[in-house]
Amino acid sequence: MSEQNLLNSIAGFREAWQAKEALERSGTDFHEIKGEVASTVVQLHPKRLELEVAEVIDETASTRTLRLVATDHSLLPPFQAGQYINLFVEIDGVATARPYAISSSPSQRVYYDLTVKRAQGGFVSNYLLDRVAAGQRFLSSGPMGTFHHNPLYHGDDLVFLAGGSGGAPARSILLDILDRGLSHRFHLVYVNSYIDDVIFDDEFRELANRHENFTLSEVISRPPTGYWGYTGRLTEELLQRLLGDIGNKMFYICGPTPFNDNCVELLTRLGVKRRRIRVEANGAPKAPNEQTGWPEGVSLDDEVTVTVRGRGSFRSRVGEPLLNALERNGYGTENACRSGECSLCRVKLVSGAVFNPQEAHLRKSDRDFGWIYSCVAFPTGDIEIQL
Amino acid sequence: MKHYDAVVIGAGNAGLTAATALQRGGSRTLLLERHNIPGGCATSFVRGDFEFEVALHQLSGLGTKDKPFVMRQLFDKLGVLDKVEFVQEHDLYRLVVPGELDVTLPASWTGLRNLLQGMFPAESEAIERFLLVCEKVSLEGFMTLPKARKANSDAALQSLCPYYVQYGFRSARDVLDEFFSDAKLKNVLATYWLYLGVPPSMLPFPDLAVMLYAYAVFKPWHIKGGSQAMSTALVESFLEAGGEVRFNCGVEKILTEDGRVCAVRLEGGERVSCDAVVSNASPLITFNELLDLERPPLAIQQDFKSRRMGTSAFVIYLGLDCTPQELGVTAASSFIYETLDEEQIHDRMGTLQTPLGGMLTCYNFEDPSAAPPGKSQVMLVCLQYGDVWKSVAPEDYARTKYDFAEKLIALIEKVYPKVRQYIEEVEVATPLTMMRYLNTPGGAIYGFQQSAQDSALLRERLDGVPGLYIAGSWTSMGGFQPTYMAGESTARAVLKQLKVKEVEHV
Repeated sequence: MSEQNLLNSIAGFREAWQAKEALERSGTDFHEIKGEVASTVVQLHPKRLELEVAEVIDETASTRTLRLVATDHSLLPPFQAGQYINLFVEIDGVATARPYAISSSPSQRVYYDLTVKRAQGGFVSNYLLDRVAAGQRFLSSGPMGTFHHNPLYHGDDLVFLAGGSGGAPARSILLDILDRGLSHRFHLVYVNSYIDDVIFDDEFRELANRHENFTLSEVISRPPTGYWGYTGRLTEELLQRLLGDIGNKMFYICGPTPFNDNCVELLTRLGVKRRRIRVEANGAPKAPNEQTGWPEGVSLDDEVTVTVRGRGSFRSRVGEPLLNALERNGYGTENACRSGECSLCRVKLVSGAVFNPQEAHLRKSDRDFGWIYSCVAFPTGDIEIQL
Repeated sequence: MKHYDAVVIGAGNAGLTAATALQRGGSRTLLLERHNIPGGCATSFVRGDFEFEVALHQLSGLGTKDKPFVMRQLFDKLGVLDKVEFVQEHDLYRLVVPGELDVTLPASWTGLRNLLQGMFPAESEAIERFLLVCEKVSLEGFMTLPKARKANSDAALQSLCPYYVQYGFRSARDVLDEFFSDAKLKNVLATYWLYLGVPPSMLPFPDLAVMLYAYAVFKPWHIKGGSQAMSTALVESFLEAGGEVRFNCGVEKILTEDGRVCAVRLEGGERVSCDAVVSNASPLITFNELLDLERPPLAIQQDFKSRRMGTSAFVIYLGLDCTPQELGVTAASSFIYETLDEEQIHDRMGTLQTPLGGMLTCYNFEDPSAAPPGKSQVMLVCLQYGDVWKSVAPEDYARTKYDFAEKLIALIEKVYPKVRQYIEEVEVATPLTMMRYLNTPGGAIYGFQQSAQDSALLRERLDGVPGLYIAGSWTSMGGFQPTYMAGESTARAVLKQLKVKEVEHV
């Protein structure tokens, strides 16, 4: 007796069999959708973009914009204003990467502008500013990140507190609102150290004059004598004066870490709920040893041995984020945000201990089973990891 | 070139249990995963203070410590039972049809019967009989039907599986109509269809029966740290047994020699030789794209022709700055219908129009550790077919996504009006997101459409290429328990085959 015959006595079996045969006559073997998943996904979330510098634009003494186009001159993937790409570079034999917010408007997809400000001693920013010219090619991640306007709950009364290069995502979000003709109010509180080093200052002023829904408040923290505008650090009083009624405003903060921390504290004191504040991630902390939980007796300058299972080992400084140390020594992992959020650089800690700072957005099970985000992990003793 | 006994492609549920069972069974195994983290659907992501469960709503088949069921044994066998903590849910679900119906079913077989008999006294006797049929069909399907098939005798089938014979291939709609006249009672009992994505008219009755019976008797469960904790625990157990795993490592080709699997080629060109490949990728990608044959074997093409693409999902992950009580949550899982007509709800799943049915799961209702103190982790879902999303132009994608999210939130707001005002974090996943992370055509989350003709009882194993095994939702029922089990049973088949080979070599 064949199995089909056996099951024939189950109510509904014959009908199901016939239905299956009818489907078989009208169906296909799905050969026609071969490759469709990959070709659909790549339009929105390419793993890598092949980019070429079309133009290098001088912004200020400290800052340049790299205008990047697709090497095949096709349109780039859409992005949400405020998002970043992770730019892969090779500098003197070291393969590394840095995430940069896109400063151009998402309304055109011919190019992405990356606006790069020189960081003191910055390995990558100095390279991009001093050694990159039009025609140079790079790989990058696709656009990523959650620091963008979210229409589901952000509302239409937006305040952006930008410090220095934080003006880059602010510009993209602003241009997006203006290009799409949205009625959102956008107030940019733009804090810079020096009056002659303000990125996009002329453009922002001109747009503020032309658009009623865009307000620009400039603050210079180290003003020249005789400067007439707002000066000094942001204070509660100044913010209160600039913002007026807090209402249901949504706040975006992007700048150096001390600036970000200060802004969150000021807004909290003004009664802003934490859920109405978005802070852009900002790389690994410079002073993890000042955070709670840092082991006693361990100094940032201590040396430790990092062993990569089955591949080799090297000496490293405690204060250097593990991912950077790996890259400097010829290893690497996938990575994107380099700030402890995207988790792409997750590696297994086989033995030893690392310090996971508050920036490390680890999953519960990562903690339970010894997985770490190498971009923000600090080895506090000798460690072995598995790549 | 490196050699392994087995290579497992994909660290989804079935890939993970297959790899772990293989390695623990003594077979040298390499587990490959395209992403940086194991789990496939069974994963989590962190935003701000929240770790979001991606896919697990209610884990079935576990049973309690006192009355354990198959999944407890399976997890024990795979070495992960003591690596995770389970949290029991006390209700099956709350079903709300505003203005029509609002009922919460307890996760208890007698409690369920009492509640329904109290609500629908006129159908009291039918309820009793119906639940008995659910129980018998579930147990027979699990225990005695395989025996009868092995015996291959009609007499055995009739005596071992009397209920299965009477109901085994009928639709849920058909059986509900036979038992009940009250339409709302039928709605209440059929609600789990919304988990599976096929309406009661297409849903095989045993699938519904087993969900009701198994969840009520063996309880619905969450996992602390989410399904990601189980995925990571399985990797841990796999590594402890000596397995090798590579993340961020996609497979380009499955290579054959004389029609038999001999190796895989990884992205980047590296070749790894092996005796067996277990693919946790969809069989469509496996046979039509990964396998190095121009066309898959005829039997497999034939099988594909009678399949239809299953459902995907649209999901909103919400981190709320309020407690479940402030939100008004009274059960972890709520289903919300706009209409009592399930067929209409299903028809909408192929469109971008306002969904007519959706669900809300509040993870910290029963497990306080699932959200920071004072906050809530909530997931809104409506199942949706992926086709309509494939035609959205890339530049319109974000807007389309948010527009549709507004529609789903509007549906949920009818029962939970405060859901929008406390949002602290939100992430939206569309069928294209599922496609991206699961690598499935149509962003399918349960494989092929699970109507009666999809049943494994109507089909042969997809074993046309020696050494190539398929494990996952596409060749079994979708969901967590079935895929965990599918991986482990596939591993057993592989181990058996590898042993045979070993003996041949001696």
